[in-house]
Amino acid sequence: MIQTTPSGALPDASFQTLDEGTAGKWIQCPHCEAPCRERELRAGQELKCTRCGVTVLEYVGKRTLQPAMALSITGLFILLLANVSPILTFEVVGRMQSGFMITGVIELSQQGYLPIAILVFFCGILAPALYLAAVCYVSTACALGLRLPMLRFVYEAVHLLEPWNLIPVFAIAALVASVKLKMLGTVEWQIGARWVLGVSVMTLFCEQVFDRRLVEERLNSMKI
Amino acid sequence: MIHFSDSLRVNLARALVATGAILYIPSNVMPVMTMTIVGKVEPLTVLGGVHELYDSGLPFIAGVVFLASFVVPFLKLASLAWILFLHGKPYLKHERSTVHRIVHKIGSWSMVDIFLLSVLAAVGQLGALAGVTAQPGAILFSLVLVSSLVAAEIYKPRLIWESDSLQNQ
Repeated sequence: MIQTTPSGALPDASFQTLDEGTAGKWIQCPHCEAPCRERELRAGQELKCTRCGVTVLEYVGKRTLQPAMALSITGLFILLLANVSPILTFEVVGRMQSGFMITGVIELSQQGYLPIAILVFFCGILAPALYLAAVCYVSTACALGLRLPMLRFVYEAVHLLEPWNLIPVFAIAALVASVKLKMLGTVEWQIGARWVLGVSVMTLFCEQVFDRRLVEERLNSMKI
Repeated sequence: MIHFSDSLRVNLARALVATGAILYIPSNVMPVMTMTIVGKVEPLTVLGGVHELYDSGLPFIAGVVFLASFVVPFLKLASLAWILFLHGKPYLKHERSTVHRIVHKIGSWSMVDIFLLSVLAAVGQLGALAGVTAQPGAILFSLVLVSSLVAAEIYKPRLIWESDSLQNQ
């Protein structure tokens, strides 16, 4: 583990001299935004922010954006399928009903709870779609070196959309709902449930493999 | 992108946490939905739903829902209030930074109840046999969630560390 200097309010003189030999670029801590000096890392080493202690850089064998690209494209396809196929069916004495992701939104808005309907629609359908599309757009452009329009804007959008992408929470909620409904009647999982689970896995992996630093490096080298 | 000044960020976050704290009690007292089971209409609060799950022999799932929809929103509001209360003070910066990171990670899980309502409302439209209707409590509950989520987004962890210089200005 190596530690870098936090420049910031009080630059430490001893650190400045210490750094001269291996002077790298100034980078920002992803958590507290303290400026840190970049270092060459060997296997097993990581760079920690001296201000908040979060890992700034990790040794990654070969940094690439292709996993993010692949996962987000797959995620987009599965999300489409998740939205057009029923998640579960519910049956009470011969009367059956099947639920899609959008059904709850429509039902809530018809019951007069438009704000909740909008919230569910945004966090469960729109934000996951936009998030995956944005990751796909940025990682494709950076991995293939394409100068697509509005890359910076879309890259910022990835950052903004991440906390609103709640499809994994939706998957858990569907599980709890099925347990509750079992007390009242017969519940059967449909193919859509698998797609929802699939999108959850894809988004969680996407958040892991989307290398922000690498994207920024590529954007800078493309002069965007 | 829209630019907020640091002091505006702090004030907005404080206002949002206060909103969440005020609405927290009514959102847990008022029913979030009514369930009609074979003609019997039953209002359910967030905790009522947990209790029902526990009674039907599912302590694990009841525990998850209890944590996600009751404990997490409370802890989130409490820790955000603590972080904002200490804003600009020179101590416990590391602790605040760690707490902020945890709040950010687990915060969204409390949305489980809103999605639950949505899934239940989607298939629970079989009239008197099994019907699920949303109640005003659900609006309050989602307001608590959204305000604490936005507050955590607006109050950047950077502000924990850089507030001294801000106060001197």
